[in-house]
Amino acid sequence: MNKTWIVTSETYLRQTKSWSFLMLILMPFLFIGLTFGISYVATPSQDKSDIAVISTDHSLRQSFLDNSDVATTTKYKSVKAAQQATTKSDINGYLVLKVVNHQQVQAVFHGPNEISSGDQAKIQRFLSTVQTQMNVHDAKLTTSQTKALARQPQFKQQLQQKTASNKAAKRISFYILVFFVYLILTTYSSITAQEIAAEKGTKIMEVIFSSTTPRKYFNGKVYGVLLMIVTQLLVYLLGGALVVQLAQHSRATQQLWQQNASVIGKVLHNLLSINLIFALAAVLLYTVVSAFCGALVTRVEDAGKASQPVIYMNLLTFVMAMAFQGSPTSGIVKVFSYIPFFSSYLMPFRLINNTATTSAALISLAILLATVIGSMWYIGKIYGGLMLQTDELGFWGNLKRGLSLK
Amino acid sequence: MLTVAHITKTFGTVQALQDVSFDVHDGEIMGLIGQNGAGKSTTFHSILNFLTFDGQITWNGQPLGADDYNQIGYLPEERSLMPKLTITQQIVYLARLKNQSAKVIKPKIADWMTRFAVKGQPTDKINKLSKGNQQKVQLICTLIHEPQLIILDEPFSGLDPVNADLLKQAIVAAKNRGAAIIFSSHDMTNVEEICDTLVMLRNGQVVLHGTVDDVRNQFGRTRLFLTTDWSAEQLAALAGVKDVTAIGPNHYRLQLTDAEAGPAIFDAVTQGHYIQEFSQQPPTLDEIFRTEVEGVTHE
Repeated sequence: MNKTWIVTSETYLRQTKSWSFLMLILMPFLFIGLTFGISYVATPSQDKSDIAVISTDHSLRQSFLDNSDVATTTKYKSVKAAQQATTKSDINGYLVLKVVNHQQVQAVFHGPNEISSGDQAKIQRFLSTVQTQMNVHDAKLTTSQTKALARQPQFKQQLQQKTASNKAAKRISFYILVFFVYLILTTYSSITAQEIAAEKGTKIMEVIFSSTTPRKYFNGKVYGVLLMIVTQLLVYLLGGALVVQLAQHSRATQQLWQQNASVIGKVLHNLLSINLIFALAAVLLYTVVSAFCGALVTRVEDAGKASQPVIYMNLLTFVMAMAFQGSPTSGIVKVFSYIPFFSSYLMPFRLINNTATTSAALISLAILLATVIGSMWYIGKIYGGLMLQTDELGFWGNLKRGLSLK
Repeated sequence: MLTVAHITKTFGTVQALQDVSFDVHDGEIMGLIGQNGAGKSTTFHSILNFLTFDGQITWNGQPLGADDYNQIGYLPEERSLMPKLTITQQIVYLARLKNQSAKVIKPKIADWMTRFAVKGQPTDKINKLSKGNQQKVQLICTLIHEPQLIILDEPFSGLDPVNADLLKQAIVAAKNRGAAIIFSSHDMTNVEEICDTLVMLRNGQVVLHGTVDDVRNQFGRTRLFLTTDWSAEQLAALAGVKDVTAIGPNHYRLQLTDAEAGPAIFDAVTQGHYIQEFSQQPPTLDEIFRTEVEGVTHE
């Protein structure tokens, strides 16, 4: 079996079987689940939020039930039954509909609390429609007069490209992307640097390098970590799809979802695009550099320190992205969006704001991938020397000795 | 067969190895001895391609490359295992890196644990084992895939006599199945006991090389063990005697200036009569080691 694959699978399985990885994966879902759970408990049940409709005019009642869009229940047909249900809090209240003197339609709501403004508007709209129909009928108008009265004014919106919803979508996409990339880079930089440093600290590398080449071993380690990230992304994508389904159908979030469907769609489009490849390539680059930093530490107890340079680098790029969030056309953003490490934040930022073309994104991605491949090649070459250098000489001393070992 | 031919290695201004050459044949055990810093580990690291060097190292006539790694069993000087793995996981992982399948290796683990008297279960984590047992597990990792080239850097270090005997048995068993074995040691008794040949390094140079007997004999049979009722003063007065040390009642060790003085001393001491002991020997490896080390110290 290919030795790189053996190292990859060992790294992957050892890490993914750990509790910390499970928690890392499950935490967002636990959080979302908790939110849904709390909102489910806090939101009244379907029946409890419904209102009963009572009327001696069966056609009027049926028309309300069919056309009003108000959440109703057909279970209660008499005032007495509806009153009892309201008292027991089984329903939100009841609406009594009647036509006064064959001329005026009237609705009276009975309940412990005020009816929601949305439902009030819906009831008002239904009543207006019915009243108009009665008025037209009583006025004995001709067909053309009826049509003339039915004529409605028109209101249209000619929206510019940068609409409010677009702006919101961009802002949300930016924040999700920046925080997601920041968190994932910080997490995996730490995991990689500490794993490599701890391994080096156990002095087992001589045994391993008598079995496989440092390059194969190094590549295997990087691929193992990359597989972990892919696993996490896949779980998030599948879990995300599930959450979307839940959010669309859960009464706690249904309305919110419908109201913001356009923004959510745009955010998802911004995230599930070339930006995801930028994030993956960034993780790969940070993983490679973290492995390099891990290899510069000589003691197990210093494993925590190993990831610091990469974490600071990530913090710097994160701060820069946040600082320039209002200036997607800035020259600095433009230049840095092609520089690896920075490009993972700034090119997606420009793409979200439509200030970069697809070809610019592809050039930036090509530079990033070339840097990843170049660093993997170079660090793979010096990896053996770095890992076998076990004297404590400080960062630069370790680097110098490691480079001279081969 | 492992052939090390004229290898030279320099670290900055330090000459770690200088024109080092030796062979280790299949079914042969070679001891690599020398003071700390003499170049033993650098020699091993050069064989394993951890370092670049001048000269040539071949295995069965070909430069030793990544393809030969599966045939190598290496025990480094600094003992090291992955503390969070179980014994089985550790052995299987390292064996898989030697191209062995888990299916083949797993059934062998219990037998090897018995052979090395490891106290613990295969499911025990490495960090739960005592230091001695961890060392034995590492030896199992080195040998379980039955390598053809075995390199052991100070394998007896830290082992008690009982466990050292278990290791010697394992090394001899590997030799008997045809493996070429090279190990370093500071304990000359072990070298003398199981090595077929030895190489002594001093400041990166080979100063002694040959079979154990050849190396000892090249220093001459200048040690004489004698049991007699003569006094130390009488013995010291004999021609060719450099030094006399009493090592027991009527029991002496004589240091001769020349091995050829032996027959005359024999005639003088026995005078035709029986004596309990007259044994003329070459110096032990330990004495040779000390002599050679002192040589460099005084230089």
